[in-house]
Amino acid sequence: MRQRPWGWNPAGRRRWATALLLSGHVIWILLGRGNSDRWQRALGLLSTPSQGVSAKMMAWRQARTDKVRDLESAQTELRNLRSQAVNLQLAAVRDAAKVQEAEEATRLLGLKKQLPLELKAARIVANVRKAPFGGMIIDQGEDLGLVRDQGVVCTEGVVGRIWSVAKHQASVLPLDAHNASTSVLLSRSRATGVLQGVGPGRAEIRYIGSQELVQVHESVFTSGLDGVFPRGLLVGYVTAVHAEDVELRVEVTLAAQLDRLYLVLILPPSPGMELRPPAGPVAKTETGAPK
Amino acid sequence: MIQRPASASFRHFIVALLSLGAVLQTAAWPGAQAVFHTFLVLGLAPEFRSPFIGALWAAAAGWVLEGSLRMYPHMGGTALANMIVCLLAAWTLVQWPPRSAKLYWARMGAFAVLHILLIRGLVLFAAGAYTWGSGPIWTLLLVPLWASVAFKFYFPHHRE
Repeated sequence: MRQRPWGWNPAGRRRWATALLLSGHVIWILLGRGNSDRWQRALGLLSTPSQGVSAKMMAWRQARTDKVRDLESAQTELRNLRSQAVNLQLAAVRDAAKVQEAEEATRLLGLKKQLPLELKAARIVANVRKAPFGGMIIDQGEDLGLVRDQGVVCTEGVVGRIWSVAKHQASVLPLDAHNASTSVLLSRSRATGVLQGVGPGRAEIRYIGSQELVQVHESVFTSGLDGVFPRGLLVGYVTAVHAEDVELRVEVTLAAQLDRLYLVLILPPSPGMELRPPAGPVAKTETGAPK
Repeated sequence: MIQRPASASFRHFIVALLSLGAVLQTAAWPGAQAVFHTFLVLGLAPEFRSPFIGALWAAAAGWVLEGSLRMYPHMGGTALANMIVCLLAAWTLVQWPPRSAKLYWARMGAFAVLHILLIRGLVLFAAGAYTWGSGPIWTLLLVPLWASVAFKFYFPHHRE
């Protein structure tokens, strides 16, 4: 006897159960809006291990992404820094002359403040010292009120004197020129003599008696006797002393680097023998009148 | 009717249970979760002796999937779609038993497409609009893999 498909037999009951399951879901969906929070919370609790693994994987991926991003930003920054370094190097090369001039100007400014004289600055536009009867050309002349025999100094020491003056330029006779003569004073022996140029950067002192005790490395200053330089400006250093018949021949290396000069200061005409210290602030009495 | 060996039924049950657990635990990886879900619904559930038991497994898979995703305001759409497709697949397996693995793959592929569309429609009806993920793509791409595994559990003799 064949069983009825939807009868109360095992197969029929399974069919009814399946139908109930399906219809229950359909009704659940149609009625809708059932509260499924608890179900989701329970499943979330059960899936905690996988959530932990997933969180670690996400953290690892994030860390890797951060590392890659940091590396890329570091590489970009490195490229920018390299580019900036190249630009800075090029700028430094380009501005080297200006920087050197600025440094020299700064030093000259310091010297100008120390010397209580009215100094004028000038730029050397040509340096032909090594040519016969050569000298240096500065970019100031009669328009600045320059005249012959004004002293020229730089931060290292004395340079020379003005030899001739044109409208806008002047020539300087350096100390190492053969026809240059300057009255000088030795620092320790206090002996005086006349400095004459003998070659580039070198000079000799004449007219020092053989009884004088001159030492090598002794400093040589201007004596102020020639009326061109005041006393006490550094000229150079003694490098050798040769005793001759009645006088000493003292070899001197000039302090000023005449080959590398760019800016110089020009002393006023006839600056006097002694440098007078600059006047300090005027002290006042209790009544307010100057002492 | 030829009875399925008890060891095969037990193994079938264990694999279904593991698949259900995998659906739950792979919620963080939607692609893998969709593959396990489809494997359970289309590959394992229709193979249970009773369509009712298969429908229960399919419904459980749907509820677990939706519950683990936590993105539907009202659940049940996936479970209903699973049951419908599972019963349909079971009926076709009884009516037209596949003769080769490739035919089985093709049938599973077709049912997978139907499954995806039905889930889409019922969840849309039950819970509202939601975004497509990468799950359907992975499911269809890996049909040869999960259908091959499911075919090993296919035991048509008990239906004859």
